[in-house]
Amino acid sequence: MIVTVLKPLDEILDSISSYRKILIAGCDGCTQPPRGMREVKTLKQLLELAGKLKGKEFQFKLTSVVKQCDTVLTKSTIKPYVDDIDAVLSLACGAGPQTVADVFPDLPVIPAQNSHFVGIDDREGGAIFDSCSSCGDCVLALTGAVCPITRCAKGLLNGACGGAREGKCEMDPERDCAWELIYKRLEKLGQLDRLKEFRPPRNYQKKGWKVAP
Amino acid sequence: MTQVAEAKPAVNINEDYCSRCSICGSLCPYDAISQDHENKKIILDIEKCQVCGICASACPARAIDTIYYDRDSLLNYLRKVKPKYKSDTLVVMCKGSAPDFSQVGKLFGVSDFVPLSVPCVGRISEELLLAMLAEGMKKIDILACDEDYCRFHRGSPLTGRRVMVLNRMLEQLGYGKDAITMQRNSLKVKVDKDLCIACGNCVFYCPYGAPKLESVGGISFDLDACRGCGLCVALCPAFALDLENWERDRISNLLPQLIAEMKPPKLLVFRCQWAVYPPLNGDVSPNVRTIDLPCSGRIEAVHILEALQSGADGVMVIACSKDDCKQEGVSAKAEHVVAKIKGQLEQIGLGERLGFGSVSPRYEGQAEEAIRQFRLIIETIGAKGKSQ
Repeated sequence: MIVTVLKPLDEILDSISSYRKILIAGCDGCTQPPRGMREVKTLKQLLELAGKLKGKEFQFKLTSVVKQCDTVLTKSTIKPYVDDIDAVLSLACGAGPQTVADVFPDLPVIPAQNSHFVGIDDREGGAIFDSCSSCGDCVLALTGAVCPITRCAKGLLNGACGGAREGKCEMDPERDCAWELIYKRLEKLGQLDRLKEFRPPRNYQKKGWKVAP
Repeated sequence: MTQVAEAKPAVNINEDYCSRCSICGSLCPYDAISQDHENKKIILDIEKCQVCGICASACPARAIDTIYYDRDSLLNYLRKVKPKYKSDTLVVMCKGSAPDFSQVGKLFGVSDFVPLSVPCVGRISEELLLAMLAEGMKKIDILACDEDYCRFHRGSPLTGRRVMVLNRMLEQLGYGKDAITMQRNSLKVKVDKDLCIACGNCVFYCPYGAPKLESVGGISFDLDACRGCGLCVALCPAFALDLENWERDRISNLLPQLIAEMKPPKLLVFRCQWAVYPPLNGDVSPNVRTIDLPCSGRIEAVHILEALQSGADGVMVIACSKDDCKQEGVSAKAEHVVAKIKGQLEQIGLGERLGFGSVSPRYEGQAEEAIRQFRLIIETIGAKGKSQ
């Protein structure tokens, strides 16, 4: 899922302060928990409370899009509101506000969240890890399904750098060394021979910026 | 955890009366009562006790005193409120299955009745039921939780047996058949499939494995497994879940009036109904109003914020400790929910207006002390909007 974190409320208040009628648009999509109607309503209540203390009054309307990164769904959900709002406050990842802006070119859109990465949600462990860099050239088949591009701090393709200490990265002692994870995993799978395969430098053109659906 | 100096335990065994029969120990759902092998003394481990009152109700020698809902206070309550309700039907109901009195009346088909809401009907002894009849009650309806839903495990089954035995006796005495009736009810989750976004949050959070999420057909709940803690309801991102008798709208609708009738500093307290056993005559402080929850897991940020928006100067959530929680440790999740919204309130300078207390009814006055300390904080920062 795309991992997002709510911006500081002061920052949100600043960025909406020049508008009065605001549609808070959630997204039921991939983030866990989804930034659906509950998060939308909670944000509305918090902004109203904060606004009142600052003598600022807003008129909020609330909705949530099934997937805010989808132009068709976003259009059909937000269209009924556009004539009566000054701006949209988006509770989606970075793709959401841009989708709204693409569909409604005249409507100001403000992000309520910061987007961090494509992550693994370890719900039982209570942590979310950066896991995929969307590089366009997936090597997971060779690395025991542990991504070295994302999870190795140096993004190395051909084995460990030698700087790891007790399985932890020299850049950050809390972070697991991705290549040690890869080695252990391949060992378990009986696939250590895959390490012998040389990976040439990545072709960054493969990442691309546009894909046919 | 709020600790009161030299706290008075809520349950005491009076050795002068105790005949050491150990019936109490055999009924205690928490193994809090044991018997000394040598001198046969009955020993109560108050740290294990959850104050269900089953032991006191079963003691043939009346040697066990409880400070809440004991025989005398229940009878006094009945004498006091009977004229007000102008009815000779008494409805005794467990808080766990009956937060909404009007719904309870419908279950028994009565519109006028004297309501008596207790934390577990298992604390009502045969003798007390007879004493209530002797107070002029013609009929007693008992609403218990379903047996496997009973928060104290043994309270509901025990009451079923008591009613059966008593009715046979009462029939012989000329009270007719079924002078005492009993129904069982459990309050469970309600799903609005149209609102469900199939995110699986409820599946993750439910301690009982009640929700199932399928790629075709979406969410469904095994209602036999649901124990009505309300955690899934409080966390559903799409407001697709609700809880019988603790509906989101019902709680929202209670807020404005409760807040309007308070005097500043206005403290609204959401409390787990198993963490605090309130006095039978309800709230007494003009500064405090409470909303009981089936478990602190039912607390949702929306209601906390609504209370602040409606003019509460402070909102407090009172829960059981994780070990005392009657719902598989759900209270720890509730603490996370409160901490999260508190963090957001801190950003706008209102963080101190949300308090959390973890208390137990096993010592007298823990909840009152937690509220008193919270009130001091609110009084220090002053009424809302003025000190900001």
